[in-house]
Amino acid sequence: MRWPGSGLRVTEGTAAALFFGALALLPLALSFNPYYLSILVAALVLGSVAVSWNVLAGLCGQVSFGHAGFFGLGAYASAILAMRAGWSPWLAMAGAGVAGVAVSLLIGLPSFKLRGPYFALAILGFAEVLKLLALNLDSLTGGSQGIFGVPPPTALRLGGLTADFEASRTANYYLAGLLLLLVWGAAVLLRRSRAGVAMATVHADEEAAAGIGVPVLRTKATALAVSAFFTALLGAFYAHYVHYLDPDSAFDGAWSIMPIVAALFGGMSTLVGPAVGALVITGLDEFLFKRLFESGHQLFFGLLLAAVIVWAPSGLLGGRVRRPTT
Amino acid sequence: MISGSSIVQSLLSGLLEGGNYALYSLGLAFVFGILRIINLAHGEVVVLGGYVAYWTLVRYGVGPVLSMPLAAAAGGALGWLTYRLFLRRVREAPELNTLILTFGVGIFLTNLFLQLWTGDLRSIEVDWLQRPLTLGPIRASVGELAAFGFSVAAVLGLQAFLHRTRAGKAIRVTAIDRDSAALAGIDVERVDRGAFAIGGLLAGIAGPVLGILANVSPGVGGPLTVKAFILTVLAGVGSISGLIAAGMILGVGEALTVTFFSSSYRELFGFTLFLGILLARPSGLFGRRI
Repeated sequence: MRWPGSGLRVTEGTAAALFFGALALLPLALSFNPYYLSILVAALVLGSVAVSWNVLAGLCGQVSFGHAGFFGLGAYASAILAMRAGWSPWLAMAGAGVAGVAVSLLIGLPSFKLRGPYFALAILGFAEVLKLLALNLDSLTGGSQGIFGVPPPTALRLGGLTADFEASRTANYYLAGLLLLLVWGAAVLLRRSRAGVAMATVHADEEAAAGIGVPVLRTKATALAVSAFFTALLGAFYAHYVHYLDPDSAFDGAWSIMPIVAALFGGMSTLVGPAVGALVITGLDEFLFKRLFESGHQLFFGLLLAAVIVWAPSGLLGGRVRRPTT
Repeated sequence: MISGSSIVQSLLSGLLEGGNYALYSLGLAFVFGILRIINLAHGEVVVLGGYVAYWTLVRYGVGPVLSMPLAAAAGGALGWLTYRLFLRRVREAPELNTLILTFGVGIFLTNLFLQLWTGDLRSIEVDWLQRPLTLGPIRASVGELAAFGFSVAAVLGLQAFLHRTRAGKAIRVTAIDRDSAALAGIDVERVDRGAFAIGGLLAGIAGPVLGILANVSPGVGGPLTVKAFILTVLAGVGSISGLIAAGMILGVGEALTVTFFSSSYRELFGFTLFLGILLARPSGLFGRRI
């Protein structure tokens, strides 16, 4: 199926510039309405996780059904580092990313011996294990009670401007936007690098890749590590943004499902598509689905997932964005 | 102090539960073995079967044994519809597309159930099935024993169908070599559709058993799918009869984990076993072709 107006084709750089430009101006257009900003922060977090998920899926062809595991891990790691070890929230967030990498290697190196579906489901298994650990390691995680009072990132001063993350939604919005830009930029750099080319080769044909000397295992592990780093980082941001964690919210299956919907909907063959998809589906969810169905509004996402994969597998942007020829 | 009889009791409960696990997994294992499709909406079809039995009991007073064919038909129809609407269009696409597709169908169904019937836990309560049978300090309910017998019968029945009937043989041949089967005059497209519908039927028939022994709610579909997949891998893809042994290993392991550690580590046993098997012996314990 071709989306309406699919004659219009732009390069990915142009699409991304338009997208990030619009994001920068959006709060002005909404006159800094805190309700809309809070929805947008959620959309940006989802967008970043979707772009991270797509580093593994879109670049390297490895689908994960368990990114909630990395998200929750990052959230808990950062909260614990900031509250128990007394780290600055900024440093704790970086630490959470590193924890994500460490766990992803622990998970990935054995699992990557498994092909496609087995890998996807092994990751799902690991995500469940991590959630169970968060529930059961009471002394560290507070068990099912969760952790209250996760501190916000310390305020930043730049000249006369102060970004106060405790009080200002706008500050959090721009921080989330910058994180998305960071994740997207890293993904672009990765795609251009040697490792990125190796990932494209593995995606296209794993056996042929191994045949021409591509280190398949190392390539997949790199993709997973980058993906897990940023997913954990975003989980950490989420913890410091909502100030409260429990296993059900931090490891919520939605953190596995929604990035997949966003990435597929936006277009997995592009790097900015998943972010666009995240904004569109969050908008649909808040302003349409949740008003139609109070409970069970995720029904539409299930349908969307099935419809997109059958009738429009290249997604919203996939057919319209030219891949740079590398 | 853990007494000897509580260990025997947990062994027995685990063995019985393991038989049911085999039944809950049968549809997924069958479809995976034949079509190489992991149906991530499998658990939701089981749940649908459970709801069918629950509502026929509550609304019309029809017991779960009688409503079982209805539950099976609902599951089969849903499987057939899923195949007709979506799956046949992505048969040629990469394997992961079918995985994402059925994942989406599962999310859709879970939320549809939630919308239609709320998140309440429903259990099918029939007096004669809950009657306890005791042997010294060991106890089990009539329902548990009947469900176990039914599970074993279902597994053997499926085996017999695959090996003794023309349709079953056509399905097996198509699974082994699609092109040759087509050349031999088998309508492989019809076999695919039929096999997926049978998978749905097998899932649907497990629903009433789930409702009798535990409960049915929108949220149990996902974990059920994961458990079915664990069991399929443990048994070895293509090994239908291996499911019973695999189910018992899982059931007994879980029961002993609860007895010796804590019920909060129950699920951890399954995942550890799953990952251990995947990494150490990906072909499963009884892996061979159907």
